[in-house]
Amino acid sequence: MKIIGVILQIGFLHVFLFLGIALKYFIPLPIPSSMLGLFLLFVALCCNIIKLEWVEQGAKWLMAELLLFFIPSAVGIVNYQQIFSLQGIGIVFLILISTMIVMGVTALTAEKVSAKRKEEGH
Amino acid sequence: MIIVVFTIVTYLIYLLSKKIYKKIIIAAFHPLLLAPILLIVLITITHVSANQYLQGSKLLSHMLAPATVAFAVPIYKNLAIIKKYIGTIAVSITVGTLVAMISTFLLSKLIHLSDDFIVSILPRSITTPIAMEVSKEIGGLPALTTVFVIITGIAGGIIGPKVLKWLSIKTPIAKGLALGMGAHGVGTSKALEYGKQESVFSSLAMIFAALITLVWGTLLTTFI
Repeated sequence: MKIIGVILQIGFLHVFLFLGIALKYFIPLPIPSSMLGLFLLFVALCCNIIKLEWVEQGAKWLMAELLLFFIPSAVGIVNYQQIFSLQGIGIVFLILISTMIVMGVTALTAEKVSAKRKEEGH
Repeated sequence: MIIVVFTIVTYLIYLLSKKIYKKIIIAAFHPLLLAPILLIVLITITHVSANQYLQGSKLLSHMLAPATVAFAVPIYKNLAIIKKYIGTIAVSITVGTLVAMISTFLLSKLIHLSDDFIVSILPRSITTPIAMEVSKEIGGLPALTTVFVIITGIAGGIIGPKVLKWLSIKTPIAKGLALGMGAHGVGTSKALEYGKQESVFSSLAMIFAALITLVWGTLLTTFI
């Protein structure tokens, strides 16, 4: 029973995806339709147009299994022979180093800013 | 028919990889590394081409779009937290996206990447559908961007927890924001292992990073 509920809710989430695709025609900005769908669903929840229970289980499953949806694209890497060359190794190192810096700086900034805000609050 | 087969096979291999990773927690066994390797071995043995596989597994990659829409749910449920921490989130993610683009650009120059590679690699730290869109806007190759987004996810999922440990990051907000900012959806699924708060902040970081990178992307295309 639970599986059917999840599938139905994922179907319902597609309504917002399609609305996002439709809305994209009217908005000349480079915003992806899935992002517009996110925005529309958020508005619908806030304005009580739909109930949280209608989408909650489906959304939870999609977010929990996010890794699964990346796997096909990861297999697609074999189409890019360059990645397996010397330059490819360079690119992997670039990404590794940059990601470490990004995470480190973001974490330290977040700790600094939130600590400061707490102090001000006292 | 072929879609059903590839979807089920991919799902089973994904479950198997998760099980193996739970038993042997070594970076090389991360599901996003192990599952694709197993699948590449499998399609090579069965003489299926990569493009046939990509066609057949379209349903799964399509799910990234409704999954992006689904992130409205944690935003809605955590509106009070967002209001409370909006300053910290905005500052950290603005800094994070800038550091991501600048460090990627400088390192790309250092290893002499060609121009179309550089514009394709710039949006790598944000989630796939949005990174592809930004890539298109700034003149990159969306398919190549997907590859860089995936490598970023794998790298971030593996190195992220270590970075947090080395810097002895304690607060859930810093852990969550760093994981979502640095490694988009993969970081967010890692954050789920830390706890509920971490995963909320990570989802928020992912969404904010996408939005702010869109702004940078638009500015870049307008002024260059």
